[in-house]
Amino acid sequence: MKAKDLMVPLVDYLRPDTTLKEAACLLRTARRSEKHIGVKALPVLDDQRSLVGILSIGDILKAVYPSYLYLMDLGVFTWDGMVESFAKKMSGRKVSDLMTHAVVTVRGDSSLMECVDHMLKNGVKRVPVISREGAVVGMIYERDVFYEITRSMLGKDAKECA
Amino acid sequence: MTFETMTTMQSFILDIPFWIATVIFITSYALIVAEKLHKTVISMFAAGLMLVLKIVDQHEAFHMEELGIDWNVIILLMSMMIIINLMKPTGIFEYVAIKSAKMGKGEPFRIMVIFALVTAILSALLDNVTIVLLITPAVIFIADALEVDAVPYLLSSVFASNIGGTATLIGDPPNLMIASKAQLTFMDFIVHLTPIVIVLMAVYLVLIMVFWRKRLRTRDELKERIMAMNEHEAIKDPVMLKKSLIVLSIVLVGFIFHGALHFQPATVALFGAGLLLLLAGTNEPHHILAEIEWPTIFFFMGLFIIVGGVVKVGLIKSMSLQMLALTDGNLFATSMIIIWFSAFASAVVDNIPYVATMNPLIIEMAQQLWPNLSGVQLLQHPDLMPLWWSLALGACLGGNATAIGASANVIVIGMAEKAGKRISFLKFMVYGVPVMALTVAISSLYIWLRYYVL
Repeated sequence: MKAKDLMVPLVDYLRPDTTLKEAACLLRTARRSEKHIGVKALPVLDDQRSLVGILSIGDILKAVYPSYLYLMDLGVFTWDGMVESFAKKMSGRKVSDLMTHAVVTVRGDSSLMECVDHMLKNGVKRVPVISREGAVVGMIYERDVFYEITRSMLGKDAKECA
Repeated sequence: MTFETMTTMQSFILDIPFWIATVIFITSYALIVAEKLHKTVISMFAAGLMLVLKIVDQHEAFHMEELGIDWNVIILLMSMMIIINLMKPTGIFEYVAIKSAKMGKGEPFRIMVIFALVTAILSALLDNVTIVLLITPAVIFIADALEVDAVPYLLSSVFASNIGGTATLIGDPPNLMIASKAQLTFMDFIVHLTPIVIVLMAVYLVLIMVFWRKRLRTRDELKERIMAMNEHEAIKDPVMLKKSLIVLSIVLVGFIFHGALHFQPATVALFGAGLLLLLAGTNEPHHILAEIEWPTIFFFMGLFIIVGGVVKVGLIKSMSLQMLALTDGNLFATSMIIIWFSAFASAVVDNIPYVATMNPLIIEMAQQLWPNLSGVQLLQHPDLMPLWWSLALGACLGGNATAIGASANVIVIGMAEKAGKRISFLKFMVYGVPVMALTVAISSLYIWLRYYVL
C-alpha cells in the first residue's frame, strides 16, 4: 500500500493570515472521515496552494501557554481562569505566527514504512501528501496507519474487530 | 609624549606581529559589538588566528597566567553553574519567588521592592546572569497574576541584579576577572565594594519609587491570587535542597576565608561543585554538565587568548602609556577616567571583553609607575587599589544604561519578548540611563572620599 491509497484527500485547510479563532472553528468542524468530526491538525497553504506549515491542537495549546512556565515549575501556582484569559488574548493572532513551519511530507507513491519513519523520527501524528507539482493532495493520519498495520496483524480475524 | 613613548611607537611601525595582533583584536571586538555573528564564534576564531599566526604560542595561551586563559575564572564560573544547575530542580527558586510575592501581601509596589532586594542579594551570592535566568519567569508570572504591566518589574529586577552583582567577587563576571588578575580576595570585595553597593541599593529603591510607585494598581481579588499560593508546594526535593544549602554555605564560608586559607576562589567553588555532585548521588552527571553555559565559557577562553596576543605584542602597554600621559600620572584623575569611561564603554560594549582588556592595561600602568615592584606588592599597591575598584564599579554599573550593556539585560529582554512583553531599546534607556548615571556618580563620590580624602 502506498501513501496515496491511505490518505484522506484534502478538503479543509488553513491560510497563513487566518486568525486563530477562525482556525479553531475549522479544526472543530473539519471531517477526517464519515464518522469522525474534528481534526487535530490542518495544513496551512498559501495563495499558490503550496504548503507553508501545519497547525495542530498542540500549537494551539502552546499559544495559550506562557513561555515563562517552560522555565520555572510554577504550574501548581496558576489560578483559575488563567488559560481562558490567555485564550481570549490569543484569539486574534494569525495562524502564520503559531503554526509549525518545518513540515515533513511524503509523496503519493511513498511507502507506508516511509510514512511511519517520518512519524516516529519527527514525533508527528499526521503527514501531508504532496503531488509531483508540489501541491498538497491529502493527509496521512496516524490512526489510519494504525488500522492498516493492525489489519495485517489480524489477518482474517480483522472483520471481528471492525 | 615622552621620548621613550616616541621611540617605542616608532618601532611598532615595522613590527608585523604587532599589527597582526592589533587587527585581529580590533576586528573581533568590532564584530562582537556588531552582533551579526555569535560572540563565541568570533572569540574562538580570533583566538585560533592568534595561535595559528604565532602571535602567542600554545604554551603561552594555555599555561601562562599573564598571556593565556585565566583558568581561575573559567573553573569558578563552571563550578558555580554546576551548583546552581543541581539546585534548580529542588524548587528553591520558585519557593523564593512565591514567598517574596506573599511577603509583599499582593501589593504591587511592595512586591517590586522585595523582588529588587531579593534579586540583588541573590545576585551578590550567586552569579547575576544565572539569577535573572531563574527569577525572571516568576517576575512575569506574578505580574500576570496581578494583571499589572510586567515591564516595570522586569526592569527593576534586572537593574537590581546588576547593582547587587557588583557587591562581591562572584556577583558579576567583571569582578571575577579583576579579582583573579589582581589577586584580590572575596573579603577585599566585601570591605571595598559591598558598603557602597548597600548605599546604591537604598538610593535605587527611592528611584524606582519615583519611576513606578504611582503607576502600579491592582484589585483586591487579584491580590488574593497571590495570597492563595502555597510556597511550600514549590519544594520538589527537600532532601536535595538541604544538601544544596549545606554545600552552598560551605562554599560561601570558603569564599570568606579563602584568602586566610590560601585557596584561590576557584578551588573553593570546584570543591563545592564536586561535593554537591557526589551528594546528589547521580550516576548520570551528563545532563547537569551539559547545562553549563558552554558558549559563555568558550567566549571567555577565546577572549583571554585574544587579549593575551595584544598584551604580548605591546599594544596594551602603549595604550597604558597614553593613559598615563593623558593624566600626567595623577591617579585620582585616572580613577575618575576609569570609572566613567568604563561605565560608558560597558553600556555600549559587553563588559567582559572590556574588562579583559582593562586588566592588563592597569597592570602595565602599574609597572610603569613602580618598576621595582612585582607580584602582589605591585598588583595591590595602595595607590593602585582605587583603580581596580573604579574599574569594577564602572564596568558593572555601566551595564544598566542600555539593553545590551550587561548579559543579564539581554537575557531578561529576550525572555520578556517571548512572553509578549516587548522592551524597546529606547524604553530600556529611559530608565537605565538615570540608574546608571546616579549609581556611577555616587560611586565616584565614594572613590574620591574613601581613597583620596579620608
